[in-house]
Amino acid sequence: MTNYLPNLKSLALVFALTLGAMLAVNAQTRSISGTVLDASFGDPVPGATVLVKGTTRGTATDVDGKFTLPLQVGDQVLVVSFVGYLTQEVEIGNQSTITISLEEDIQSLEEAVVIGYGSQDKKEITSAVVGVKPEDFNRGNVTNPAQLLQGKVAGLSITRPGGNPNNGFNVRLRGLSTFGANSSPLIVLDGVIGASLDNVDPNDIQSIDVLKDGSAAAIYGARGSSGVILITTTKQGKKDGTTNVTVNSFATLDQATNLIPILSADEFVARGGTDFGSDTDWRNELIDDAMSFTTNASISGSFGNSNYMAAVNYRDNNGIVNGVGNERLNTRLNLSQGALNNRLRFNVNLSFTNVARESINDAAFRYATIYNPTAPIYENTEDAIQRFGGYFQRDLFDFYNPVALANQQKFVGEVKSNLLSYRAEFDILTNLTVTAQYSQDRRNELEGNFWSMQDYQVGLGATGSAQRITRDRSQRIFESTLRYETDLTDKLNMTLLGGAGMQFTKNQGFNARVRQYLFDLGWDNLGAGAIRVGNNTEVSSYANEDQLNSLFGRANFNWDNTFFVSASVRAETYSGFGENNQTGVFPAFSVGSDFTQIFDMGVFSQFKPRVSYGVTGNLPPSPTLALGVYGNGNRIDLDGDPLTQNDIFVGIVQNSNPNKDLKWETKKEFNVGVDFGMLNNKITGSVDYYTRNISDLLFNVPVATGAPNPFDPGRFNTASSTWINLADLRAAGFEFAASVNEIGKGMLKWTPTLNFTIYDKTTIESLSAGDLGFEELRFATPGSPGQNNNPIIYNRVGENLGDIYGPRLLGYTEDGQYILSTTSPDEYEKLGNGLPKGEFGFTNSFRWNQWSLNFFLRGAWGHDLYNSYRGFYENADPASNTWNSVITDNTPTNPLVVSTPTFNSSYVEDAAFIRLDNAELGYNVKTNSPNLSSLRVYFAAQNLFTITNYTGVDPEVRTNDSENNDAFTSALSPGIERRNTYFQTRSFTLGVTVNFK
Amino acid sequence: MLPLAFGLGACWELDQEVLDGVTADDITNSTNPNLINVLKASAYSRIVGSWGGHNSIWSIHEVSSDEMAIPQKGADWEDGGQWIRMHRHQWDAKEESFNNTWNYCFTAIGEINNLLIQYPDVEALTAELRVLRALSYLWLIDTFGNVPIVDENTTGGNPSNKSRAEVFAFIESSIKDNMDLLVKENTKTTINYYTAQAMLAKLYINAQIYTGTARWAEAEAAAEEVINSGKYSLSSNFFANFSERNGGSTENILTLPYDQNNAQGFNLPQMTLHYLSQNTYNLQEQPWNGYASLEEFYNNFEDDDVRKNSFLEGPQFSSDGTRLNDISAEAGDPDGQPLTFTPNINMLTPNAFRQAGVRVGKFEFASGAASSLNNDYPLIRLGDIILIKAEAEFRQGKTGDALTSVNMIRERAGVDPHAALTLDLIFEERGFEMFAEASRRTDMIRFGKWNQPWWEKPQSEAFRGLFPIPQQAINANPNLTQNPGY
Repeated sequence: MTNYLPNLKSLALVFALTLGAMLAVNAQTRSISGTVLDASFGDPVPGATVLVKGTTRGTATDVDGKFTLPLQVGDQVLVVSFVGYLTQEVEIGNQSTITISLEEDIQSLEEAVVIGYGSQDKKEITSAVVGVKPEDFNRGNVTNPAQLLQGKVAGLSITRPGGNPNNGFNVRLRGLSTFGANSSPLIVLDGVIGASLDNVDPNDIQSIDVLKDGSAAAIYGARGSSGVILITTTKQGKKDGTTNVTVNSFATLDQATNLIPILSADEFVARGGTDFGSDTDWRNELIDDAMSFTTNASISGSFGNSNYMAAVNYRDNNGIVNGVGNERLNTRLNLSQGALNNRLRFNVNLSFTNVARESINDAAFRYATIYNPTAPIYENTEDAIQRFGGYFQRDLFDFYNPVALANQQKFVGEVKSNLLSYRAEFDILTNLTVTAQYSQDRRNELEGNFWSMQDYQVGLGATGSAQRITRDRSQRIFESTLRYETDLTDKLNMTLLGGAGMQFTKNQGFNARVRQYLFDLGWDNLGAGAIRVGNNTEVSSYANEDQLNSLFGRANFNWDNTFFVSASVRAETYSGFGENNQTGVFPAFSVGSDFTQIFDMGVFSQFKPRVSYGVTGNLPPSPTLALGVYGNGNRIDLDGDPLTQNDIFVGIVQNSNPNKDLKWETKKEFNVGVDFGMLNNKITGSVDYYTRNISDLLFNVPVATGAPNPFDPGRFNTASSTWINLADLRAAGFEFAASVNEIGKGMLKWTPTLNFTIYDKTTIESLSAGDLGFEELRFATPGSPGQNNNPIIYNRVGENLGDIYGPRLLGYTEDGQYILSTTSPDEYEKLGNGLPKGEFGFTNSFRWNQWSLNFFLRGAWGHDLYNSYRGFYENADPASNTWNSVITDNTPTNPLVVSTPTFNSSYVEDAAFIRLDNAELGYNVKTNSPNLSSLRVYFAAQNLFTITNYTGVDPEVRTNDSENNDAFTSALSPGIERRNTYFQTRSFTLGVTVNFK
Repeated sequence: MLPLAFGLGACWELDQEVLDGVTADDITNSTNPNLINVLKASAYSRIVGSWGGHNSIWSIHEVSSDEMAIPQKGADWEDGGQWIRMHRHQWDAKEESFNNTWNYCFTAIGEINNLLIQYPDVEALTAELRVLRALSYLWLIDTFGNVPIVDENTTGGNPSNKSRAEVFAFIESSIKDNMDLLVKENTKTTINYYTAQAMLAKLYINAQIYTGTARWAEAEAAAEEVINSGKYSLSSNFFANFSERNGGSTENILTLPYDQNNAQGFNLPQMTLHYLSQNTYNLQEQPWNGYASLEEFYNNFEDDDVRKNSFLEGPQFSSDGTRLNDISAEAGDPDGQPLTFTPNINMLTPNAFRQAGVRVGKFEFASGAASSLNNDYPLIRLGDIILIKAEAEFRQGKTGDALTSVNMIRERAGVDPHAALTLDLIFEERGFEMFAEASRRTDMIRFGKWNQPWWEKPQSEAFRGLFPIPQQAINANPNLTQNPGY
């Protein structure tokens, strides 16, 4: 390795000498000194720039907001500026000391918005892009960057039903854009495409920008169809020569809330339930209040052309059930260094994350709700002690002691991820910059699963079982861009960007499971499990790698800050496409104009209509789908004699047929919108309307088994399905966002921000390609017992995606039998739809002296949910003698329904809701300490209340079917609340943030 | 940027490597001497596949006949009413089990065709594969009748149906043209010359149904070829053919070699046993309490017929001898909580008693069994071939020969010989002998009993003799025409 250190040292020396010479030249006799203060609070503003107007001479204020500036003859005016404040000009006159008060400029239109491969002034943006800053983020115990944004951006739907700290958030931008796995927006973290959210702690985020429309996302080509979220981490300290240390620490209490009412033990027995003689509140036995602790510490600063930020984030989150937890340690180091007069800039961002999670079998939540309330937890019989570890169990169908289930099965995982990103920029000319970035995103997961020998559900039959799984993913990206900016005329500014990139991804993993133990040694000793083949065992490994090549370019034009035009194109080649269709081209175009520059618009200080169109793509989730890969079949003993082992092989079977035409999914999106500001930008906002057409969706389609394969001439279909591109979807929506900045007089200021979206729900225009495809796709049966066969979500051509279909309940007979409209699935009626008609978020932030109060209401309407608990457990049928019954506001009681539970319209409930999602009360302690710049104490609550008519666990929108692990059909069955849903939680957080100087 | 752009130019088009699987090209280019045998065995493993699972070809044969039903116990086994429809002959083309059956047969056919293309010149292999393909067609002609014929020479797009008579001719020629190239050893899990003859016997005995023209003499001749080969003999112990270690059965001609670890798919204990029966056999998983036999069918068996042990009836015990007790037994169940398999089933739907109905006990459930059994499933068995011969003889007027054959079977079962035969007696004998071997439906059709009413099943329409072409198959291949009546 070459040692670059001596070179760096000499470089630094050159810098110091140059700097010294400049200072010497500028030595003068007369000078002016002063203080720059914040106009609202009177606090000093450190780091503000003070320039002599018309010159390049100036200085910056120190920690106390003070400055001293040498003057020359003819100096008349000082220009004082600082980020977030209105720039002010001051006459010097004869003054030798001066005090300047800067007005805050929170809603600055000069705000830079991060777009793909750079940033742009907000005023120049011609597509639907929304930036969110930390002051707008959600409050409370926010553990995931997506959660920061929940409800904050019109059209961005972020959901996590139930309160499981291990569950991720479902993120969807403007509705469904694919049937497949990549339905969440692409994350671009500090320029690293496709980075995992694990790599960033919410506390380290400086801004999040959402590229909503196809035009903005098209610069990300075949990965942009689901939208793009750009996350920028805090880069550095703001001012030269200072160090800023921030410590934020909080504790959170989680409680279960909104439990479905069930029968008490006495009521259960009175209804005819089997009486085991005890009285157990199973949910109370399962759940407990949980405490979680979080500490973030960061240090940042700068000296010369060096900037740094280092942060440590520790989060220990515990679930309301013993055995559910998530402990996370994230470390980040961001460094930047300028050289050659800052023409050459290096950036290094390093992030390391360790997550340890533990979970239970979620079925414990179901059994805690419906297990026989007269059953005891433990049973002191020889049989129970020997077989079940003392837990009460009975040989009944679908009947497992929930406390035993939660304790005798364990599922843990440890995720280690790191993101290393290196970037160099060089200004070849002042307006021509070349950039190269290399990043490596690596994630390794080690999982352990365990079923005790005494676990009645699985372990007893298997005599104990344990499993170890590792998954390793690495993604390397090398990208290079060239950026050129010039004024073509004195009014026309042009920015050109060109780039090329290569992305290499590799996934690999290993999985082993054994059974039949003498002791419960679990995954720590798989060798102690005697049986390694057959049921409840596994040995497997997998690996795949792919490559994506890109070329892209963009041109932006700004004519006199009045007309704006942007055009881009990206071409991409992906190894996972079929060999006949390897390269996709994704163009985009957008225009906008600020009418206030042309017309007198009255109260409007900005009125910028804009129109955009863009094409984006979506990659297949696995790179080998096109190839019809053969997988493992049965173990084959060629001579049938188990004593001779040298002739045993694993057979090969083709699981899907090859398709040499397989290609990307395509989304074409048209967006028209207006950005506006009124009353000198006191009120700002935007409206957008979009339509999108999604075509060529990837789907595994039934084909004529045994017949010739049209996508691979000369061979036959040996699998009953082939991956093809099919279907056309159409969707549209209207989005509105507005904010009023600081209403109120004196010390009380109120800033309300509202956004809402009205969806024109996704319509299925076609589900076919040529001869292949479907008239409709039905998914999601309610489940066992007895409701395994009739799917309830119909996706029909010409209708909305994800309609709920079933028989209509016309009434009940006198003795409590259903009267259903039909029993034939073909005569089922449309009963609802699980996707929302609209969503909104309403933020209110109040400030009064040192106090701040934030509360955030969020809601959705126009969506239905199938309430599975009611659909299985509210009837007084024979099965209700075994399982406890739920008694919700919607449960018919006169007469009690005695029919066998059958899916019908009465179980489909309107799930519209308004939720006080989070609220925070904070106090900024005034400090005069020389070491303390601020001290803030806050109390936050999450999920304080929900207004809804829904009687299930959580009215939150279900975009996916949680019991369908097939990524390609899960999104086609929205609107089902499954019985294993983790209970809702309510959280209270008390925390303190300290900034040291 | 420029060097990178040039770099891209050099490798703009990309090859996708497969790291954890193989492609058709890898198979074509392989020189591994074991490959050909493994590929052949892989084709066989398609046939092993899901035969003995729930929702399978076995399910539709059994539940649609008068042998078995899946009574609905409240919510349990309601399953959209498909098993009620199956038993009552009210099924439609959308039943999932039909589609499973279709794909089960045609995936094997596709796999075999690919192998025939790959190894066109290995004569013994191609002969065996063509007969194996005929086996798939033997099931197809019996269940769906008018199906497309796809062989290794088929080209073009989606194939259309052929008439049942054309399918018959295809099966017949596939077997006859190739059987002389087959081995004559007793290879129980692969096709040999006698397997081919047995297949012919099964084809010809149904010729009148399949084509309208009876072929009794050819059925007799083919059966005789098997019986007289000296390769097979009736097991003195009837149940040795169905035991966990039945690989040594002298009677089984072609079996599906199930193995709880290596070749799964025979899930009978889960399908038929009561939840509590887990304790009787120390099963690894709790059974599903589904398939039960009809009371009338069970009562037809003479008490001293050893084959009556094909059913599990009466009080049930845990492996340690204690009586099993079902605390969730329905309040109205006259047999109360102690678990007892009673011949009487109170109703098919909606609220059959949990313990009602005798269960399928013909196949041994070994202690500690997994959800998939180790027992090999006899697809073709000498007992069946002897009865085919008897029937063919009887239908040609050779009543004496027929009587001898039937009485051979009865003697082994420990029941008195018949003095004289009728067609009904042959039909009945087939029922005793072939229970739970997916033969009853075909027999009932051939003996003209299929459309008659029985327990919980009304008179059914004539077209119900064929199952409908699965709707999903028609969706995937619009050139298919639905069977008449559907």
